[in-house]
Amino acid sequence: METIMNAPLEHEMEKASNSYLMSLLALLVGAPLPIINLIATLIFYMGNRRSTYFVRWHCTQALLSQLSVFFLNSYGFWWTVSILFTNATISNEYIAYMITIALFNLFEFVSTLYTAIEVRKGLHVRWWIIGDLTDLICKPKA
Amino acid sequence: MKSNSLWAIIILGGFVGLFFWLRTIDWVGMFNIEKHTRDTEEKLGDLFWEHLGDDGNQITDSLTVAAMDSLVTRICKANEIPCGRIQVHVFRSDVVNAFAMPGGHLVVNSALIADCKNPEQLCGVLAHEIAHIELRHVMNKLVREVGMAMLVNLTTGGGDAGQIGEVIGALSSKAFDRDLEREADMKAVDYMVNSHIDPHPFADFLYLTANGESGETFEWLSTHPSSKERMEYVLEEIGKRQFEAKPLIAASNWEELKTRMDTVVSLEVK
Repeated sequence: METIMNAPLEHEMEKASNSYLMSLLALLVGAPLPIINLIATLIFYMGNRRSTYFVRWHCTQALLSQLSVFFLNSYGFWWTVSILFTNATISNEYIAYMITIALFNLFEFVSTLYTAIEVRKGLHVRWWIIGDLTDLICKPKA
Repeated sequence: MKSNSLWAIIILGGFVGLFFWLRTIDWVGMFNIEKHTRDTEEKLGDLFWEHLGDDGNQITDSLTVAAMDSLVTRICKANEIPCGRIQVHVFRSDVVNAFAMPGGHLVVNSALIADCKNPEQLCGVLAHEIAHIELRHVMNKLVREVGMAMLVNLTTGGGDAGQIGEVIGALSSKAFDRDLEREADMKAVDYMVNSHIDPHPFADFLYLTANGESGETFEWLSTHPSSKERMEYVLEEIGKRQFEAKPLIAASNWEELKTRMDTVVSLEVK
């Protein structure tokens, strides 16, 4: 069942859009550490738990979108650490994995940027799969 | 929900498919990673060697050089290791020690040669250190001990003599981790068998020193994992192998080398 959202107000559009921008900014600042952008969106999500449904919904979607790449990036991060500090060496598998996650991150980055722009205009952008998961987690207040 | 499952499969399939397709490409060869690693290793080796070679304790007489070269060449040739890659240097010291440096430099202290009962024991130690070089343990240890940043700093001319000395100290006085030592021991047995050198004396060397027969400073063993444990797995490995031992260097040359090293060590101790 599709939840009907009221047209968001200016400050709601700004806050909802910022939840996506926050992850992008954190990604740029703490690029090698995969957890930074997740923490940034989590902090923004916690700060907006009592906000309107539109803002909460987008904060949740932003958080879940970061969670999806977090696991892929973490694996790549620890693989890199093992190469730097243990017996592991750079292999074709390692480079292939890093290119794969780089492409996924790029796709996620562009999608997040697009979503931030559209949400700022007041449009309700739903991501595949993550949008439905967000519906399960984030319910309108009775 | 159906469309969600479909998208999940498409995304997951896309990720896995892309990864498996990309891993078929020879990235390591394309980016010359092996060559870059070896170049960095050689640069570091030259840098360390410049620092070590300055202290005036290197033994360069023709007998010592010829004997050590013949042992190393025998191991290298039989194991398809380019002979020029390993450069063995003998140093005057009363500490029983040998260690590998980046760039294929292998340092052996005179006390270690003096302590070996036969050339096979010395070959065991040399083969073990060559294994550390060939298995890239040296660079991995350096990265762990001093960090990648320091190594890059050193190779780009940013390090001073004190820092280089510290890094060499870490290489000569700290063991590799247990798994790497075991791997090097196994490889050493392999090298010796391929070179028609009896590996039993290598196990004996570990056994004798593990039982504290010598009162000397056994840096080479004290920094390594339990010698008894090593002796046991080395013997187990030897038991699995078949080999035909052939003589190494002439007995007279070996005795002369030992006498020379004994003299050098006693002079140093005085």
